[in-house]
Amino acid sequence: LSLFPPVRPPKKTSPKKPPTKQQAAMAEEQMEEASSSAAASGTPFQLQFDKPIPFQIKLAEWNPEKDLLAMVTDDSKVLLHRFNWQRLWTISPGKCITSICWSPDGKIVALGTEDGFVLLHDVENGKMLRSIKSHDVAIICLNWAEDEPLSRTDKEDLLSYEDRTTRFFPPAPVMPRIGGLNSGDTGLADENEEAIQAFSSASCQRFNILCTGDKDGCICFSIFGIFPIGKININKVPIHVQSSGKRTSYRLQDVSISKVSLSRNLHQLVLLCSGKLINTDNLSLSNDLSVGVHCLHLDTSIFSNRKNELHQVSQQASSIQDLVEVVRASISMMSKQWSNAMNLFHEKFSALPSLLTAHGMESSSEDEFMSLLFGTHTSPALHQFLVSSLGEAGLKRIAKTIESAGRELRIVVSEHLQPAVEIISFRLAELRGLARWRSRFQNIGLDEKLMDGVTERVGMLVVQVERFSRVAATVLYLFQNFLSWVLKCVKILLSEPTDQVPSTNSELVVIFLKFLLDKDPIKQLLETDQIFEWDIDTAKHVEHLVVFGGFTDTKFLERSLAKQFSELEESLKEAFLMPFTTVSSQIHCQGLLPLYPVTSSDALSSTSTPASIAFYKDKDSQHNASSYSSTDYICFKIPDGSLNLRNFVAVIKDFCNSCSTSNTPSLSGFLLHIPVEYECVDLSLYKDNQVVLLLSGKSSSENAGRSWMVMLQTENLSFSQFSRTFPANYYNLQELEALELQLDTDYGKVRSVPHPLSTPLAVSASRGVACIFSSRRHALVYILDEDEDEDEDEGSEME
Amino acid sequence: MRATAWEHYGSAPMVRMNTLVYATCFADAASSSELSLAYVKLIEQLAVFKGYSAAFCALKLAEEKFPSSTNSQIHLLKMQLLHERALHRGHLRIAQQICDEFGVLSSSVSGVDIELKTEASLRRARTLLAAKQFSQAAAVANSLFTTCYKYNMQVENASVLLLLAEIHRKSDNAVLGLPYALASQSFCKSFNLDLLEASATLTLAELWLALGSNHAKRALSLVYQSLPMILGHGGLELRARSQIVLAKCHLTDPEFSVSEDPCAVLDPLNQAAEDLQVLEYHEMAAEVYYLKAMTYNHLGKEYEREEAAARFKEHVTALENPRDEEDSLVY
Repeated sequence: LSLFPPVRPPKKTSPKKPPTKQQAAMAEEQMEEASSSAAASGTPFQLQFDKPIPFQIKLAEWNPEKDLLAMVTDDSKVLLHRFNWQRLWTISPGKCITSICWSPDGKIVALGTEDGFVLLHDVENGKMLRSIKSHDVAIICLNWAEDEPLSRTDKEDLLSYEDRTTRFFPPAPVMPRIGGLNSGDTGLADENEEAIQAFSSASCQRFNILCTGDKDGCICFSIFGIFPIGKININKVPIHVQSSGKRTSYRLQDVSISKVSLSRNLHQLVLLCSGKLINTDNLSLSNDLSVGVHCLHLDTSIFSNRKNELHQVSQQASSIQDLVEVVRASISMMSKQWSNAMNLFHEKFSALPSLLTAHGMESSSEDEFMSLLFGTHTSPALHQFLVSSLGEAGLKRIAKTIESAGRELRIVVSEHLQPAVEIISFRLAELRGLARWRSRFQNIGLDEKLMDGVTERVGMLVVQVERFSRVAATVLYLFQNFLSWVLKCVKILLSEPTDQVPSTNSELVVIFLKFLLDKDPIKQLLETDQIFEWDIDTAKHVEHLVVFGGFTDTKFLERSLAKQFSELEESLKEAFLMPFTTVSSQIHCQGLLPLYPVTSSDALSSTSTPASIAFYKDKDSQHNASSYSSTDYICFKIPDGSLNLRNFVAVIKDFCNSCSTSNTPSLSGFLLHIPVEYECVDLSLYKDNQVVLLLSGKSSSENAGRSWMVMLQTENLSFSQFSRTFPANYYNLQELEALELQLDTDYGKVRSVPHPLSTPLAVSASRGVACIFSSRRHALVYILDEDEDEDEDEGSEME
Repeated sequence: MRATAWEHYGSAPMVRMNTLVYATCFADAASSSELSLAYVKLIEQLAVFKGYSAAFCALKLAEEKFPSSTNSQIHLLKMQLLHERALHRGHLRIAQQICDEFGVLSSSVSGVDIELKTEASLRRARTLLAAKQFSQAAAVANSLFTTCYKYNMQVENASVLLLLAEIHRKSDNAVLGLPYALASQSFCKSFNLDLLEASATLTLAELWLALGSNHAKRALSLVYQSLPMILGHGGLELRARSQIVLAKCHLTDPEFSVSEDPCAVLDPLNQAAEDLQVLEYHEMAAEVYYLKAMTYNHLGKEYEREEAAARFKEHVTALENPRDEEDSLVY
């Protein structure tokens, strides 16, 4: 955060040279003049700067907290610029990016890709924090909504839940760094890991949900952007419409979502999608007109009603998932390390059996070593093997490799595997406690039985880890013992002094020869498909422990560590799928409003039609701070020809409320007719119920190359109510009053821009700036409101 | 051992897990006293979470496994379990008897066997409390507190304070109990004794509730605070108690109407009844069925009401006429 102190934009500067004091004063004067006569002079927005930009920008989004603008170029590079146009970083994720949004705290930028991935990048350095595959097709829109702090003051008692893990455990282990012999490209990955840890701890402070909508009509919800909590397919959602006492069911087909927006109290979701509306009761009723862009209202009150519970669960669950990754990485790394060491060992020692056969002997290498140990004789084959093919140097190399592998193993177990497993088990125990609180947690799908199962599994894993470390320690000791014995033998055979070699235990050498020469218990434990043999004593013991409340699955010691881990993963998946499906099933469609029909020919381009959805707090509901309601505003351009309208922009408000309370139809809106010689390039809703429009002169007219930026105060425009009586008439928008937009309008502020403009338009409500891009590869930043009180002045003037 | 630490921090599954790790992995290497300690822990867990029958079953096996020489811990555990069960069943005479045995076990020299002694007097105080001899119980608890304070036994300190609060609550002296409960709570907080803290919070809620119906909201929020902890890690008794308090909070809250949301009351009560059945805790079970009968009465469901009332009566008679006192000592 400290990197980007919020900088107020200088009042007025020329782009290149910083203004002198005098100039600044003059500028101030000018500006005051300008603003006092804003409506008359027609230049209400200050041009902050105009910079050439060497890319074609596809998407742009202002950071909600800091003065940063993230842009996506046509070739899917992501650029981050500061307000003063200093570039902070550029990344190219290597995938086609189709959508972008910021996390509510402005620390993460989320990118949706064409192949259905959501990539989360750190704002500080552009590093990728997560990559989550939640969709199968291109993600068209993202919306990351945070619960308003305002609405959560009421239930302090429930918020007092704290994550106790941090009090009892040192910081969670990170993934083991692969050091030593087989170092890959770890330097970067390792730093990433640290970032992930920091990310998960920092981002879980406040409850927020990332919604992603894709081309095939699926919407995914994930808490903190990382813990998937729900997925719905609009194609399968039944839509019930109450019209004149009759209830009709509809369904949408071939849905492609173009815009989603979750209200800030997480209560409602409004989405725009194109698709074919089908009457499921009477299939014959659908006609060509039913293909169009529709507006849906989904009831997501599960998120707001259960936000505390969801917060707790997702917090625990997401950190469990992190730790599971750590365990996975640890296991795979250990097995890599160990198999490297073992390969060397077997490579060297495999020479012995072939030598034995070459000498025409039928004994095994184990027998040969045995006879060497008990001093009967040394066969020429073994002699040759020890002295010439293995040699002292080779032996020492093996010993060193195995020792270092063993050390590595010990470190991984003690610093990564064990603490990770322990914290997982603690967190699971906490989750199980929550699951027992049936009245609260059952309806978000935290299932007690499943959690019990997972806890049992993780308990077994803890035992397995403990056993693994014991087995590893024993095996390593035996290896060490055996190798120094062999070294001693070699020295004797070469008649060298043996006083340098540490003394060995011949009993342990026998054990080694019997159990370890051809077998590898460590490898067995690290591979999933191995069955681990164990003695009957332990088996009995484990069965015995069941009476004392031990694990009922007495066969668990037969499984290998890796197998146990994969079982844990499976049951975790099952347990976390439960909330996912439960929550998904509780998201219902509340209302439908067909907006405009599209003919199939331009259906493809319809997804890129400019539209904007926003929620604004109701002004009259301020008296009750704990439960305010919000009004939704939907603003979109009607494609030419649709509804027999040309060059129209529609603004609709209060769609959600009209769906939920049918007795007070408050749905209202208006149409805006753009002057014929211009076309609307992009539009956006802006704070305080304003609409910002970008108009560009049509190339055929004499106004080509001239554009306008218009900001309209919607309150000054007359909203007219319209009914939702359908299916008599699908598209009721025509009923709306159409207003002519005059470019010297009194409705709001207008400024002409001497460039032809292209998408996108990025406005920042927190900073009051807009960034627009000209087709000639220029970026222009305008200040939308000069100052709050000046705004008011203007407002009064307008009245 | 790590398991004990977890016991204090309040994470029951962690206790079980760590003990099991020990019992499974180090069965061959550990000394028999350590191993028996592990078994004792496991049996304690069983008693708290699965009820007495399972625990006694396991205890028998453990006694076979560890012959008398090393089993002082097991012997102790047996007495603890017996005492606990006698208290729950309402066999006060037997409880008293076991308390006396406890006292004999510890050596008479002062300053030795402190743990055993505190345990003994803690149990004595609880027996007295169960026998409704409040002033004596309070006296014992007070003297116990001074000893604990003297020997710097923080965990015991907190639990004694909690006991004192409990005593005051049962003697209908809620105002006096409040400071004790609060002290216990802050004690636990500073030592990270989460489970004990949760139960202190619960006692606090009970005390507030006892102060009148206009405190029901506050009590409710306190219960909500402690619930995740208790449900996750508390034993059957504590869980049942918290459920009862939850139901009571709803019932006493003047703004809450049973007919609107019967589940809010009945769900916790049913869960508590389930748990107490396993525990054979007659006193509390009677309370549960009483509350249930009342709720059904409000709802106008007569059949269910009669059923609950019958169960209530059953438990009360069991409490008043301890018929099978003899079998309290056998298991």
